[in-house]
Amino acid sequence: MDGSGKISIALKVNGDSHEVMVAPRKLLSDVLREDLRLTGTHVGCEQGVCGACTVLVDGRPARSCLIFAVQMDGLNITTIEGFNREDGYSPLQQALHEEHGLQCGFCTPGIITTFEAYLVENPDPTEAEVREALSGNLCRCTGYQNIVKGILKAARVMRGGSSGEAVAQ
Amino acid sequence: MSNDVKTENFRSIGKPVPRKEDHRFLTGNGRYLDDIEIPGALHACFLRTPFAHARILSIDTEGAQKAPGVVAVVTGRDLAEWTTPLRLAPPIEGLHPTGMTTLPIEKILFNGDPVACVVATDRYLAEDAAEMVFVDYEPLEPVASIESALAEGAPLIDESLPSNLVSHQIFSAGDPKGAIARADRTVECFFSQGRQTHVPIETRGCAAVWDEGRQHLTFHIGTQVPHPLRTQLAGRLKLSESQVTVVSPDVGGGFGQKIALYREELTVAALARHLKRPVRWREDRMENLLAASHAREDVVRTRAAVTNDGRVLGLEMEITEDFGAYCFYPANYIARVVAMILTGPYCIQDYAFDVKAVLTNKCGNGPMRAPMSITSWVMEGTMDAVARELNLDPIEVRRINMLKSEDYPYRMATGEVLEDITPRETMETVLEAIGYEDFRRRQAEDWAHSVYRGLGLCVVVEPTTYGSAFYKSAGIPGSGHESAWVRIEPSGAVNASVGLMGTGQGYETPLSQAVAEGLGVDPAQVTLHLGNTDIAPYGMGSRGARGGTAGGSTLYLAARDAQTKVLAIAANMLNLNTPGELRLVDGRVERQTGGKWDDVDLTLTDVARQAYLDPTNLPEGMEPGLEFHKSFDPPPMTYSNASHLCEVTVDPETGRTMIERYIIAEDCGTVLNSIVVEGQQHGATALGISGTLYEEVYYDESGQNLTGSLADYLLPTACEIPNFEIIPMHTPNRRGPAGIKGMAEGGVMGAIGAVSNAINDALAPFGVVAETQPFTPQRIRDLVRGKNPSG
Amino acid sequence: MKPAAFTYHRPASLDEVLALFAKYGDDAKLLAGGQSMGPMMNLRMVQPEHIIDISRIEGYDEIKVEGGNLVVGALARHHDVANSSLVKDSCPVLAQAAGTVGHYAIRQRGTLGGSLAHADPAAQLPLVAVLLNADIEVTSAAETRSIPARDFFVSIMTTALEPDQMVTNVKFPCIVLGEGWGFHLFTRRAGDFAIVTVAATVTLDGNGKVSDLRLVLGGTGPVPMALLDLAEAFKGRLPDVEWVNELTNAAAKATDPDDDPRIPAEYRRDLVRTLLARALADCVSRCQEGQI
Repeated sequence: MDGSGKISIALKVNGDSHEVMVAPRKLLSDVLREDLRLTGTHVGCEQGVCGACTVLVDGRPARSCLIFAVQMDGLNITTIEGFNREDGYSPLQQALHEEHGLQCGFCTPGIITTFEAYLVENPDPTEAEVREALSGNLCRCTGYQNIVKGILKAARVMRGGSSGEAVAQ
Repeated sequence: MSNDVKTENFRSIGKPVPRKEDHRFLTGNGRYLDDIEIPGALHACFLRTPFAHARILSIDTEGAQKAPGVVAVVTGRDLAEWTTPLRLAPPIEGLHPTGMTTLPIEKILFNGDPVACVVATDRYLAEDAAEMVFVDYEPLEPVASIESALAEGAPLIDESLPSNLVSHQIFSAGDPKGAIARADRTVECFFSQGRQTHVPIETRGCAAVWDEGRQHLTFHIGTQVPHPLRTQLAGRLKLSESQVTVVSPDVGGGFGQKIALYREELTVAALARHLKRPVRWREDRMENLLAASHAREDVVRTRAAVTNDGRVLGLEMEITEDFGAYCFYPANYIARVVAMILTGPYCIQDYAFDVKAVLTNKCGNGPMRAPMSITSWVMEGTMDAVARELNLDPIEVRRINMLKSEDYPYRMATGEVLEDITPRETMETVLEAIGYEDFRRRQAEDWAHSVYRGLGLCVVVEPTTYGSAFYKSAGIPGSGHESAWVRIEPSGAVNASVGLMGTGQGYETPLSQAVAEGLGVDPAQVTLHLGNTDIAPYGMGSRGARGGTAGGSTLYLAARDAQTKVLAIAANMLNLNTPGELRLVDGRVERQTGGKWDDVDLTLTDVARQAYLDPTNLPEGMEPGLEFHKSFDPPPMTYSNASHLCEVTVDPETGRTMIERYIIAEDCGTVLNSIVVEGQQHGATALGISGTLYEEVYYDESGQNLTGSLADYLLPTACEIPNFEIIPMHTPNRRGPAGIKGMAEGGVMGAIGAVSNAINDALAPFGVVAETQPFTPQRIRDLVRGKNPSG
Repeated sequence: MKPAAFTYHRPASLDEVLALFAKYGDDAKLLAGGQSMGPMMNLRMVQPEHIIDISRIEGYDEIKVEGGNLVVGALARHHDVANSSLVKDSCPVLAQAAGTVGHYAIRQRGTLGGSLAHADPAAQLPLVAVLLNADIEVTSAAETRSIPARDFFVSIMTTALEPDQMVTNVKFPCIVLGEGWGFHLFTRRAGDFAIVTVAATVTLDGNGKVSDLRLVLGGTGPVPMALLDLAEAFKGRLPDVEWVNELTNAAAKATDPDDDPRIPAEYRRDLVRTLLARALADCVSRCQEGQI
């Protein structure tokens, strides 16, 4: 710890290691965005309610606004940037695009990180289960309907099914 | 102007093209205000008052100025040296002029009012220092409701006004009093909409960069209206408009909150110039909920003069809006629109209104997606009340009073002209979709088993786009036109721009489709450049639902001009006398011979190269280049329309409302992109449901705002919003170049009316009417507690 | 809003935690999941000088059954408690309650110990602890002892914890054969803090009469209300419609909730009646299922 009160920590983000000097009180959301320049994680409330700042910590969704970066020394963090592939979109990104499951895009990274994890844990969710899991991400633009459609489509694709519509209204 | 384009032949317009902008948003590569790196930028933080109403006796900033990382601490007196105050004095009868200094000097007027600004090397340090600013207040009696604002001897919010009634207008057409006298009955209704706020998921923020050498300000801000903002900013900073550039990056939602030039933003700009260093500001969520902009909180009373068979002979309405403490907009302007368009799809000529706006110690109001949101609930709720009191079917009451297609164009009592709308058709469509008679049968069975099921209808006529003539006739300064340019580059790439700025609606793709349609290229070949006042032409920005009608139409017209010149050059290159037999399709020239179109191996790129690089071979007298500029002023008012039908069940024990089914039939004319339009319908309707059941800014009697977090100010989650069934019924607007009518706010109006009417239908056996929104479970339970439902 | 500055400690073992806690006492706060502390610190509602991060201490997140009790470590996350088959089998009301805390992402981080120590009057896990009178093991540098849940919650956000004590595990009595349970809460939206929460357990004797009854209400006072006298008075009867009506009315009458213009006391009482009736119905049908 130097005179400024900052501590040196080792952060592992999206598979890359970083050494940063941060004040203990600096939120993980701010460190990701400012110190690591990973601006895909967005800040909407700093109260843990809106979900825009959701990242994965050791594969589990977490509100980065409710974590002090110093707590993350040595843990694996995945942000939205960690899901980007050389060869195109993940099934979830593709499905959200096809179903118009985003408008302004501000809540979108938090939703993607949440569901990349959720669909691994629950690969065949009902619509009600998707809505329940999505309830921790606030969206003011879409009314959620197309996001839900996108997630269900992604789940179908990830299970090896077709992306086509299977269910009647 | 009449439309000579056959909209059914459109190749690009109307197609469900997935959005271009999705890529950056899906990959976390969007570029919102906070993502922009500005080396050396300082961070601003505002100290906000805990009081609702108080005189500022003194502000001690000495301790704060010495805090670590602090560069400056400024107050209203400093800002008064660097900026001009705002004065709003439009020539509107009954509206008192109002004004405000950049930051408060004498008084603070609401809980959250900014009183000082700390500038430091980071936000954390700025907040630490803000805690060291000591303000000595003399608390004054707070005014926290319309009643207390209008009470005899009420404390004055604005001491230059005679009372807190900042605006009052009345109007009468025909003989509404006579209609009441002739009527079999007068049905009286009351409607109260809660105080709401926009809650974009991205809060407000800005970054000001002052170039001392060039004496030029570059102002980065997520805004819906780059040019009007620039005009205001330059004026308030005593700069020429040439000295200010406004640049809007990606914006995480606006909904009407990102239009006005707010005091915080002006302060940041002034500080950047004063300190000669870049200054940036990010509003936190508490500030956003307390102090950005509020909306709605209006109460309406109607009196409908009716015959026993359900015909409305005349209508009177009174509306009062709690406008808050600060007027960033003329205080009457929202309530007045409600009054002007209230009669909507009904044949009512004897009509009077009384519009009041009141100042209170709350955050000032502004337009929030569908500022006239209460309108359709009021009209449709009145129709339901007429049916209830006369023991008639609410649908029959509507059929008796609703305009028929032969009635159009129809001049409303207020002078507004309705044409090219189809409310009756959309109403019949949603009723058929639910199976109306079957519903009433199911409902009767459910009521017999204590399941309180209800159906609510709301027929919406949505004013989407104001033309300049509207403002003139209303005596309000303002313009409704829009401007665009289209430029084909030497390589054949197509660039375009218009004075709108998106905040999530997804302009880039639909507007590309408008250009592509007008010019004759694939939308993928068109790139829109929005939000930079140095690049885009001066436009009125994005508000209301004018994007498609004003912006899309202007781009389409500019693109048509481009096509005309391109084909003239092509004809010349092909040695033809006239371009009459040529067209451009997907960037390739085709010629019609003997009724058949053939590709003539000439592309847009070939034409462009000649236009820029070989101009001496252009037709005689033709200027080089392919750059086109257009301005378009839409008709005074353009309307779209829809019917919303909502089925609910209400649990009388807990008061909870469950939405069981929701059907929308909408006519919004030519649709630029059907996917985007559907997204707007979902979002608007969800916002309306939200305001009806969940949202409420809550001030206690001492003016304390108790809803300063998203745990208290409730937005619905994915569990609270249903799936919407949408039936498109689009008919073109004959007064617009591509038949566009616009949309995106009507959903809010429809939801508020449909859900409210459904709740009241469900509660009919209890003999109660829910009038005060939001219809929280507590309020509904309160209505039915102790009441025994009749059969 | 950004939190105020603090000194950060991340001890590696419980002993180190307790030593730090003893040293700094009132000036220190433990940080486990951070889902309740985080928002309060970001709002500067709390500004502790020292933060002792216990979220990565190993060994305190285990879930096991021992001697008729389900023993859950204080650092067990709500998601794991809700989804554990051990919890679902041996203490289903706890699994149910844990699954309703906040949202999916919140449940990944929030801990049992954190929830109990935070003692929000509307919280589900304190309520279940009081329902079952769980034994809450608390540890300081000096000693380890157990506090019964009904004595642990003192007032709004106030527990019997001394400044140098932390919760280390919680013992919930396992459900017994034939015991039915019910848990209902009322929220405005999915994941909100409940306005009122109700939980109950019922056991029926060979004649179908109520031989054991536990009731607890949340959201009706500063701490979860275990209606012990009422439960006693309503034993020995058949759980018929009359029994439910009388019991739910009596339960509502026994409360004295805060009256607030937005959520009137009368409304909370209405919810008590409605939710308790539903919980009791669930108890009885689960009893009957168990006896088949």
